[in-house]
Amino acid sequence: MYTEKVLQCFKNTHYAQEMKDPDAVGEVGNVKCLLPEERIHKNDHLVCIKNISKNDKIISHDGKYHQISQVYSRKCKEKVITIQNKLGKTTLTAEHLVYALKVPKKRKFFDTIVKRTIIPAWYHAEDLEKRDVVLYPVFNEIEDKEYIEPDLSAAKFDFKSKKIPSKIELNADFLRLCGYFIAEGHAIVKPTRNSVRFAFHVNETKYIADVKNITKTVFGLDVSIREEPQNKLAVVIINNVFVAKLFQSLFGSGAKNKRIPHFMMLLPPEKQIALIMGMWRGDGHLTLKRKFPRASYTTISEQLIHQMKTLLLRQKIVPSVYTEEEKMTKGVLHQEAYRIHVGDRNSMIRLMNLLGIDYNYKLEQKDRSWFDQNYFYTPISGLEEKEYQGMVYNLEVPGTHSFATNSLLVHNCGDIMRVYLKIKDNRIVDITYLTYGCVAAIASTEALCKIVKGKTLDEALKLGHKDVIKELESLPAIKIHCSSLSIEALRKAIEDYKQKQPG
Amino acid sequence: MKTTETYLDNGATTKIDPQVLQAMQPYYAERYGNASAIHSFGLEAAEALEKSRKVIADSLGAKHEEIYFTSGGTESNNWALKGIAFANKSQGSHIIATKVEHDCILNSCRWLEGQGFTVTYLNVDKEGFVDPKELENAITDKTILVSIIHANNEIGTIQDLKTLYDICKKHQVYFHIDACQSYTKTALSAKDADLITLNAHKIHGPKGVGALYIKTGTKIIPWQHGGGHENKMRSGTHNVHGIIGFAEAVKVALKDKESLARMRRLSDKLIKEILKTPESRLNGPAGEKRLCNNVNVSFLKIEGESLTGYLNENGISASTGSACSSKSLEASHVLMAIGLTHEWAHGSLRLTLSKFTTEPEIDYVLETLPKIVEKLRKISPLGRK
Repeated sequence: MYTEKVLQCFKNTHYAQEMKDPDAVGEVGNVKCLLPEERIHKNDHLVCIKNISKNDKIISHDGKYHQISQVYSRKCKEKVITIQNKLGKTTLTAEHLVYALKVPKKRKFFDTIVKRTIIPAWYHAEDLEKRDVVLYPVFNEIEDKEYIEPDLSAAKFDFKSKKIPSKIELNADFLRLCGYFIAEGHAIVKPTRNSVRFAFHVNETKYIADVKNITKTVFGLDVSIREEPQNKLAVVIINNVFVAKLFQSLFGSGAKNKRIPHFMMLLPPEKQIALIMGMWRGDGHLTLKRKFPRASYTTISEQLIHQMKTLLLRQKIVPSVYTEEEKMTKGVLHQEAYRIHVGDRNSMIRLMNLLGIDYNYKLEQKDRSWFDQNYFYTPISGLEEKEYQGMVYNLEVPGTHSFATNSLLVHNCGDIMRVYLKIKDNRIVDITYLTYGCVAAIASTEALCKIVKGKTLDEALKLGHKDVIKELESLPAIKIHCSSLSIEALRKAIEDYKQKQPG
Repeated sequence: MKTTETYLDNGATTKIDPQVLQAMQPYYAERYGNASAIHSFGLEAAEALEKSRKVIADSLGAKHEEIYFTSGGTESNNWALKGIAFANKSQGSHIIATKVEHDCILNSCRWLEGQGFTVTYLNVDKEGFVDPKELENAITDKTILVSIIHANNEIGTIQDLKTLYDICKKHQVYFHIDACQSYTKTALSAKDADLITLNAHKIHGPKGVGALYIKTGTKIIPWQHGGGHENKMRSGTHNVHGIIGFAEAVKVALKDKESLARMRRLSDKLIKEILKTPESRLNGPAGEKRLCNNVNVSFLKIEGESLTGYLNENGISASTGSACSSKSLEASHVLMAIGLTHEWAHGSLRLTLSKFTTEPEIDYVLETLPKIVEKLRKISPLGRK
């Protein structure tokens, strides 16, 4: 698989040694390659990779939390690729490794179940094509919790609220009420009024009655209902400071900031059904009479839409995540909103079953996304290339070497390279390296040293991974990232040198 | 320059035994008849074929009609899984395998999952053993088949067949074992399972020939359709010379108990000496529960592909479970299943012996390997400021 030249560089490692008193050192732990605004799953919510720090927890390919040991960043000027699928978009550098299935592009093959037997592997982003299938981990941390204990300390300005039970059981009733609240409710904690309000459409009598019953059984409280006929609204009100404080602390305030608390995301999937049901009853919309029936969920909270995505994936329901930009329609300003559509056959059947809706899906349809025990499989729907200049980021995840973005599972390479430089009058007079990695990794750093020695810093900065490959004659496709790593280590060392210079 | 040729990748394939080669020779150019033909050429081939079948059957204490010749381990494993699955669909659609199976079992399982079957992949402990209790708990009234690798191809763990088969019998589910690595190297009989996968090229026989033992009364669909060979179960002109070679290899192996003891002694020596290297570990069990010719060790701070690369430069052929050496950049699923971290799996090395492995060769490895480990650690930035 390796050319003679690669093996020569691997065998004869002239430059492989530590350097005493180097002028500069550059080390790379992996390919650093996500753009600053890329969202990755940290704990239960999404954050921009630039805001991730050491010791944060991310989700790896096993669907479980893993701690980050290192965050890397560097400036880059190169080709980046945006990969789009049902879950969203992720932009990364061309050699970044993505977990995927390469699907033969014959239409027949694409539509048959046979493609499910293809073995997944790590592919460079630039080698992926539309209709290749990417894998995404199904969140698999489970921590059951029986009950919560609301804060019952005396509230200022409130002397009339009845005490509520000191332990609230996390049963289906309470979780459904939470779902209604996330979708339709808001909590007011103010000196003059303390209440939780749910705004339903006047026709939603079934849900109004449900809220009323749950409030009685869970809190032992009565609700008051205020109808606003001009808005076709029926507002269900729980006048109680403790309930108001409880809901505010659990879900945040303001529709834009609503989120599901971490412990609820960790509950067993079968318990989360009630929560999903409440949320969909409020924010969901069913269009079953369309040619392709579908269900949709809309919110203006970005965190909430990704939490809903995670909840649905755990139920083996395929979500399509959309972002709707701010727009004016009929003179009304609509804020940026997020939507999930569920449309494929099996997912619709599961969702309707979960929501307790009797529904017979008649349309015969081939599902293009599917699940197994650990992963959600979904085809790439779009690819875009562009030149990018700016910072890029990557993470080191010990043990699993992978992490989930909003829409992809990406790899952090296990190879580590360190490059030492001796510099005189802006010229690299000596260069050595240390490498932990495969034949291609060792050969790449060796080849790098061969071509760099004697070059000026400016000349060295112009080198790219293709120059390393040229020196090696060729590298197997799956080892291209080794050459990128060596170039990166060099650039890092030069950066280190420049920083050390006075002025 | 390669100073010597030390072949320690016998888990991948073995050198053909000269006696086997000699037995096969006449069946290429002299006795080349089609075993299904009724002329003397054909009858001669058919007779040799049935004699070979008897040799394999006797080696397991099986009836000769229970042995079906195939093109090798992969085919036998595919047939066992898919054949049982489709023949017993009306009884259930659940199959149990382990997380340490050979790829041909795992990928057959994956394919069956796409066909509407469900598969449970059992965990193994840190030495690679299946927990009989976990097996029993995994069996449901939908379960039709349990398939377990007898001796693991990567880490040499030999499963306790009796306990596992008893559980399968109790719950009336078929039990298949993949015995490609263990056949003739450890006790194995037709009483150990309902279906047994065997092959020739791991025991100094030719490549491209194997067999599937199928217990009488087992419900399984025919594998290849055609001229009705192998009792209408696996059509296709017989690989007569291959089958002759297979049987000869079995005959030679069964007579040669001495080699087993020598391989055991040499691999124990390898393990003992290699583990003197700092930051090294043995993967899989030690002692009698380990296949006699398997050594699998890991070294921290170095990567297995470069390790085997340098061993190869020194004339030693070995293999690794490092992610870098696989086509998918995934570390060995077996090493991950026994709980190794990526760092340990990355630095793994498998040395598999054969009856041709000599003590001087082992000494040469023990002399060479530490130097390479040291060299690679010297150029590794890990653990240094």
